[in-house]
Order: sequence, then C-alpha cells, then structure tokens
Amino acid sequence: MKLDRRQFIKQAAISSAFATAGSLFPGISFGDWNRLAGNSALITWQKSPCRFCGTGCGLLIGVNNNRAVAVKGDPACSVNKGLCCMKGYHSVQALYGKDRLTTAKIRKNGSMVEVPIQEALDLVASKLKETREKHGKDAVAMYGSGQWTIPDGYVASKLFKGCLGTNNLEANARLCMASAVTGFMTSFGLDEPMGCYEDIDYADVFVTWGNNMAEMHPVLFSRMVANRKRRKDVTIIDFATRLTRTSQASDKSILFKPQTDLAVANAICYEIIRNGWVDSNFVGEHVSFHKGKTNIGYGTEDHFSFKDKAESIDFEEFKAFLDDYTPEKVEKISGVKAEDIKYLASLYGDPTLKVTSFWCMGMNQHTRGTWINNLVYNIHLLVGKISTPGNSPFSLTGQPSACGTVREVGTLTHKLPHGVVMNEKHRKLAAEIWDVPVTNIDPKPSNHTVAMFRALDRGDIKFMWIQVTNPMVTMPNLKRYRDGAKKDDRFIVVSDVYPTPTTDIADVILPAAMWIEQEGLYGNSERRTQHFAQIVDPPGEAMSDTWQIIEVARRLGFTKQFSWSEDDYIEKIWEEYRRFHAGPKHEMAPYQVLKARSGVQWPFVDGKETRWRFNPKYDPACTNGKDFDFYGKKNNRAWIWARPYEPAAESPDSEYNFWLNTGRVIEHWHTGSMTRRVPVLHNAVPSAYVEIHPEDAAELGVVDGEKVRIISRRGEIVMPAQIKGRGVPARGMVFVPFFDESYLINEVTLDAFCPISKQPDYKKCAVKLEKA
Amino acid sequence: MPIFSYLAIPKTEAKEKLCIELSALDHCQIMPADNQDIVVLVTDTPDESTEKRLQERLKKLQHLQSLSMAFGYDEKNDKGEQTDHET
Amino acid sequence: MMRPFWKNNSTISLHVILGVAGICLAIAATSASGREKLTDYDNQGSKIYRSYDARTRADMTSASGGRNLAEFYALRQYPGSPPRIPHKVDQSFKTGELDCLSCHEKGGYSPEYGAFAPVTPHPENSLCYQCHTPVLDEDKHFAESQWKSIEPPRLGQSSLGGSPPPIPHSLQLRENCIACHTGPAAVAEIRVSHAARGDCRQCHATVIQSEPLRIFQRK
Repeated sequence: MKLDRRQFIKQAAISSAFATAGSLFPGISFGDWNRLAGNSALITWQKSPCRFCGTGCGLLIGVNNNRAVAVKGDPACSVNKGLCCMKGYHSVQALYGKDRLTTAKIRKNGSMVEVPIQEALDLVASKLKETREKHGKDAVAMYGSGQWTIPDGYVASKLFKGCLGTNNLEANARLCMASAVTGFMTSFGLDEPMGCYEDIDYADVFVTWGNNMAEMHPVLFSRMVANRKRRKDVTIIDFATRLTRTSQASDKSILFKPQTDLAVANAICYEIIRNGWVDSNFVGEHVSFHKGKTNIGYGTEDHFSFKDKAESIDFEEFKAFLDDYTPEKVEKISGVKAEDIKYLASLYGDPTLKVTSFWCMGMNQHTRGTWINNLVYNIHLLVGKISTPGNSPFSLTGQPSACGTVREVGTLTHKLPHGVVMNEKHRKLAAEIWDVPVTNIDPKPSNHTVAMFRALDRGDIKFMWIQVTNPMVTMPNLKRYRDGAKKDDRFIVVSDVYPTPTTDIADVILPAAMWIEQEGLYGNSERRTQHFAQIVDPPGEAMSDTWQIIEVARRLGFTKQFSWSEDDYIEKIWEEYRRFHAGPKHEMAPYQVLKARSGVQWPFVDGKETRWRFNPKYDPACTNGKDFDFYGKKNNRAWIWARPYEPAAESPDSEYNFWLNTGRVIEHWHTGSMTRRVPVLHNAVPSAYVEIHPEDAAELGVVDGEKVRIISRRGEIVMPAQIKGRGVPARGMVFVPFFDESYLINEVTLDAFCPISKQPDYKKCAVKLEKA
Repeated sequence: MPIFSYLAIPKTEAKEKLCIELSALDHCQIMPADNQDIVVLVTDTPDESTEKRLQERLKKLQHLQSLSMAFGYDEKNDKGEQTDHET
Repeated sequence: MMRPFWKNNSTISLHVILGVAGICLAIAATSASGREKLTDYDNQGSKIYRSYDARTRADMTSASGGRNLAEFYALRQYPGSPPRIPHKVDQSFKTGELDCLSCHEKGGYSPEYGAFAPVTPHPENSLCYQCHTPVLDEDKHFAESQWKSIEPPRLGQSSLGGSPPPIPHSLQLRENCIACHTGPAAVAEIRVSHAARGDCRQCHATVIQSEPLRIFQRK
C-alpha cells in the first residue's frame, strides 16, 4: 500500500520515456493517457451536474472531437463554485471503460446472445404483456434509481402507474432516502429541506449526525472547513459511531453506540427545556406536539405491515416524556458522556449561535430512521433554529437525482408526481395530465423495495425491469434475493452501462446511454433542478433509459401517451411533468431557464428561486402573515414528535459479538461499477477491506492485511483487515465498504427496515469474527 | 542499483518478436506502444555487474534495431536499503 | 523506518532527453468560445502578491531540477486534472487535515523524500484528499480503460520571437503563478528565469479562448 522511493524513480523513468516518445513520435500512445492524435487543442466546455452524489456540483465538461477529455468545476454553479472532488474531476473517465455495454443481449439456452436492440425491446414488451395477462397486473414490476434522470422516472411512472395500473414501481432511493422523506412528511408535511447550501456560509456551529461528510459530501464539507478558516469562530462537531476523516477535521468528535442517537437527541431536548432555552414565541406560534405508536417492529418477516397513528399531545406531556432521557440516564445507554450531551445541547440552545445539522445514511439507514429524522427536527424546532440563513436541519442525499427523480417525480409505490395514489384528487390530476382513465391508477400501494424483492422470490412478481442500479450488490440479506431473482420462471430485464452482478442474472440486457450521452435533468439535495444537454454520443446501440421505456410503452399500445419525437422528447416531457407541480409551493422552472443556468431551485416563482422555505422573507408561498408559515401541515405548524429510544433489530450478543456497519469511501461511488473503471480511483482503493479497532484486532490475533472471516446469521465473507487505516471503528464494531463486487458484504447484512419508511438498516447487524 | 528507461525500436515488422525477446530477459519491463513500432523498456538491476551483463545481452537481441536512453539513474553505496523500510 | 535519502551518499544522474520533448502541441484548452467568466479567478491576483511577498528572493530563484514535465504529466489524467500523490501517505492523517500543507503550503526541502516539496497554488483548500489520490504500487485495472485526452499545452507560445508567452491554462485553482513557476520545486521546463519580478500578469496574458482566434472587428 505504498510507493517506495525505488518505485518512484522507476515511475519517473517510465514517464520520461513516454514523454520522449511523445515528442519524437507525435500521436504515439501507451494506454494510460492516450493523447488524442492530431488534435489542435480545440476544446469546448459544456455544463453538466456531476454524475455521482446528491451534492450536485456543477461541472464543465471539456469536449474534443466528440469525446469528453477534461473536467473543471463550474464557477457559475453556486453549489460548488468551481471546486470538485476526485470523483467529479475524473468522472468523464467512467464513460470509457473498455467493457461498456454497447449491444443488447438476451438469454438463449442459458447463455447471453447479442441481438439488435429493437429485437430485445420486442422481447421485453411481449414478455411484460404475457406475464400481465397470465399472472395479473401486479406480477410485473419496475425497479429504478436515484440516478435515473427526471424524464426516466417520469415515463416509468406514467407507464407503470398510469397505463399498466400497477403500483409496483420502486427505486433504489428507498434504500437511501425513504426515512428522510417520511421524516419531512411527518414533521412538515412537505418533502425536502427548507434550507440550502448557502446555510454553510452563515452557520456558527455544524453538527454532523452519523455522517462522514469529509468523504461522502466532500465539496460541502470543505466549504464548511473553509468557512471555519475564514471566520475563525466556527465549530464543527462530529457525532458518529466510528472515527473518520470527518472526525479528524472536526473540533470535537463524540462517539455513540449504534442506535442510541435516538436517546441522545431526546436528551438534548431534555436539556434545552431544563435550561429554559426553548424559543417559546416560536414554539407557541409555529409548533404542535404529537406522539405515534411505539414498539413498531423491524419488518424482517414477509407481508409485514405497519401504519402509524398520530395523536396530539401538549408541551407538558412532551416534557414528561423526556424525563426518561436525562443526560445521566442516556450516558448509560449511549456511551456518550453526560457532559458531552450537555455541551451539544448548549450549542443548540445558545440563542446567539446559528446551528446547521447535517446527516445522510447514518440517520436514514436506521430501523427507526423516520424517528431519528423527527428527533433532530424537534431540536431545531424547540429553539426556533430553522428556515433562516445558517439555521438549518439539513438532510443530504447520496444520488444525483434521488430528490429530482424519486422524491419529486415520485417513483415509489405509494407516490404520484404530485401527491400519493391513496388520494383521489391526486389520482384525478395524474389521470388528466397522463390522458388515461382515472380507474387505471390503483389507489392501494403495492410493494416497497424489500417487499418487492421478497415478492419476486416468492413468485408473486415474475417480471422485473431494473434500470441504472445494481441491486445484486446492494440488497441487504442479498443471497435470498439473488436466489429469488434467478428462479426459473422469473424474467429480469436490466438496463445498464457496464456488466455487473445484476446484469449477470438478467434475461435481457439493454445497453444504456450514460449521463452526458443523453439529454437529461437531475435534482440535487437542495431542491435544485439541473439540466444537461447531450454532450457526446452514446456508444454502439446504447439508448437512453427514457427512450427504452418509450419504445416498450409504444409496443404495448400506449402510443397516445408516449407520442414524443426523438428530437425534443426531453423538453416535451419536462413541460408535461411541470404541470404536476404548478403553484407557489413547488413551481418548477421552465425548460429554457434550466437549459441556460447551472441549476435552478424550486419553488421557482415569478422568476425567483426560493432559498429558504417556510420563511416569508424568501418564500412567496407563506400566506399566514406571521414570521414563519409551515404550510405543509393543515394546522400550519411544524410537528414535534415524542419518539422513544428502541433498540436495533439485531444487537451483538455473546455469540455474534460485533456490530457490522457498512458504507462508502471517497474514491468509490456506491457499487463501484463506474468508479472502479476510473484508473485513478481504482488504483487508490483497489479492493474492499474490513476496518477493525486495533485492540479487537490484537485480541483476534490479526494484523493489517490479514484475512478475517465475518459471519452473521445470514452469511459469511472472508476479507482483508484494515487496522488504523483512514477510519477506525469503536471497539466492538467493524466497518466494511460495499463498493467491491468481489466482497459482497450484503450477504451478511440484515433486511430489517424502518416500519414507517420501509428503508433497510445497513449500519447495524450482529456478526462474529474469526481469523481466516 | 541502476534504473534506466529506453525507447527500443524494433527491426521492420518485428515489434512483437522483440517484445517476446525482451520479456524473456530478467530485470526488464516493457510497455509497447499501441499504435507505433516503439517499445518502452525499463531496466532495474540490483548491481553494476548485472547491469553490464544485461547491456551485453540487449546488444545481441535479434529483432532490435536501436535503443535510445530516455532516463538513467544510478545510486552507489546503497546496499540492502530497499528492504528495510516500514510498511 | 525508511532511511533518509540524504544520508545515503548517493549520486543521482538524470539523463533526460527532454529538451526536445518540450512537450507537445498547441494552445491550451481553456474556455468555451471565450464565454467563460474568468473574472472570479482573475480577481484572485492578490494571491500572487501575497505569495511573492512571503517568499525570499533566494528561494524563488533557486532551482533543483528535481522535477520535469514528463513526471508532472504522468501524475495527471488530462491537462488540469488534480495530480495524484506520488509518495506514501499516512492514510489516518493523524495530525489533522493540515498534514499535507505542512510541506506543500510553503515548500522547502523534505529529507523524508529527498526532494523539494512542490508548492500548492491553492492552500486555502485544506482537505487535500478531496481531490488528490495516492498512487499505489499495485497498478492493475479493474477493467481496461479507453480513456484519451488532449495534448498538454505546448510551451513557448510567444507571438513574436522573445515576447512573453501567454498563460496557456485556466487560472481556476491555479491563480498563484509564484507557487508553481518559481523556486526549487518548480518543474524545470516551466520555471521562470525571472522569478524576482513578481507581477506576472503585467507581461503574460491569459489565453481565454481555445476556438480559433477571432479577429477583432469593429461593428
């Protein structure tokens, strides 16, 4: 894991030889960086949001001769102001892996055979039709992605919900954002953050809740660090279960035991009330108190169902509820010192400090994910630190269009582009815009993601079309779902850009256009919609996911609903979709505006973006005449929820005595199918490993690089140990990044989920370790 | 501990044969160009005498037209240094 | 422990046939038909003066010849990409995010690596690993790449013999000329011969467009 001096000299010898060869023989190429021959350095720069995370950095893509050849940060984009991270700078290299899928393939007698894409689309349509006729409308399903462009998700919803009448439409954002959504819906009645990234430039205190932002959202994290350097009095608190690069850069790092963030958040509220730090004007005018069901289960069994029931309570009842959460009591549960809890409370409570909280997967991938989202909002609401510059509870996203496509278009079983399938008014609006009979839209949600793969395993679903995602790496308790997908009479269609463990189980593989090989739109974490033009041509027969769906829809007879021309279908789809969000609460910018700018925030009203919602100084949808208007809820108030601490679905015991936590590293994005084809990123972290605390490693008798067997009740895996690497878990916990398809850690994880959001918990299950 | 890099030019139409010849030699690493008849050769020998022997053998290669040096490095009094650094 | 190189008594001879190499072709690719707003970066010129004031004349004018353009580009994927880190990095960054900057903010000789540390032009960005990845010795591909990029900018693009050459790259993140073009760690081919002058952009114009130059015409 190093380059010693001799290798360094050798590298210099090689590069000198390359340089000499290049000067003597122009155009000569040696693989690594093939210099485009005969170019006159003509390069044009075109804007695009980055392909990777939900930050939504603006990039300028340098194009020469129909190839993307360079990247720089877009100075005109307010998200990143010209700076990127290593994934962004090398993102265009992900287009050029040698094993790009360029032709369609279908399974014939057990092996994949190349066919013209039109023939493959014929097969997809006929198989879908046949399954539907034979087994009913809910025997077919589509599983999409927060990497779908907005038009991709929109046509998928129109086809499946509007035309085929099944709510079997889900997206991988269920695995990453569902708890954030239910958190927003239960606390505010409207999805997505009230604040924006500009909060970073105003906040005095940042608290990262279970969030290794330095690696996962590096551009925003470095903006925080730059603010601290410039303004001096900025404090960054890392509140986490393991030490990471975020801990290294923070002013104070506080470790808690997995799942006990629930208790700590309540203890912070307890302290705020005890010390009289409650902003009583704000709470009196803008907040109401509620409680829901408790002991709500974990969803590990098939056909699990749960419906929460809200009851109103008053402030005194809420205060009494918090009596179980004194800092001293919570210290015993969480391992966080009472004084640290009091310190956190004092930061939130100090009326002179502006506080921004950031979180992402630590709070969302949580069997009480909705609750912990509610609890952090509780803190901000009690002290009135919300919806003003610098005061922001901010839920970050992991995919470039988790917000834009999955949450706003609503590619989840219960959702419609505006509202939910259960609501008759919302169904009528959708039917009208989609030009389908309203009876087409099923008022009952069907399967959320985990339930959908369980249904596939049982055989209730027999046809599944997967686009832009890699569930055969990412599903928890993976073995069950892979075995299920491989059963004989299941038919799996996969649209992707590279071969993956998911294309391995496909009956049809459709080659997809990637990112800037098509026109599209993404939506980032801060309600920003970002348009990109087609910048280079897709390879071979690769086709945009949107157009694949349109082709199949037409073959199924829905020509009227999918009548767009290939020349301007993205513009036409956008303008049709926009109708769903008309009005000051969610107005989207017109196509021409999006095309011209590096992203536009919604609500976009009278030509103006809304940076802080619920605040009448910035948000034209506020109409109650007060200093805030939480108009998402019928009582025009934000809801504080009494949510207790409940343990994880599976905690370490005497046999399975370690926590297993999974996640990412800065170099790789999700399952690595793109970043591992970027030489620089692959070289930096070529394979996965298991992080072990040095003392645990010593007890196991394992040194750095030695193999360890990780065993859970569901599966086991052998992989090299990393001790004192970039991250150090607490004692009794191990951490494994999930990007590496040769170490499928999700065969070990548990498919328990939050009963409200149905989002699985990838951060907590029990394992034992053996030296392998 | 000498390290050298060269541009090796094969005799006409003999790039692949030259690559085979070079690969057979110890202490040699080659990187053939994708689109021209040029091979980058990097040699990394443990001591002077090995280096001399290697250079003699290079001179005798059947398919080599010419060799031009791009980079050279030689570090004397450097016994055993490469093995004892930390990991 | 790695033995410090300066104790090795070693002689290093570099025969680099690079004079000819001069590296490649053409003007740098800076901007879309001259539409890019360079102002933001152009306004960062104070960095040049601060850096100029902070460094001694002796430091700026000294040279080590320790790096050349071939090595410089070997660490990059395209002209302007963040270079990879060619030496060992302690991944745990135990002393915090300023670790890299302790050498690369101001430069100077590093006994550990036996070389002068190159100076970063953007020390205000302190999370270095956000963009820079280390080079590991195991250099295998996961899947082969068909990546190609353009040639780096050609050197010596003076319009007239002896006239000051224009700046052939974007100033974004590279506003501080002093950092890369002067001092002992500067890449030999792009080290200026007159480091002590300081006001670089008095003579060197930025090339802000890469399409064929349009001739100015009055309407």
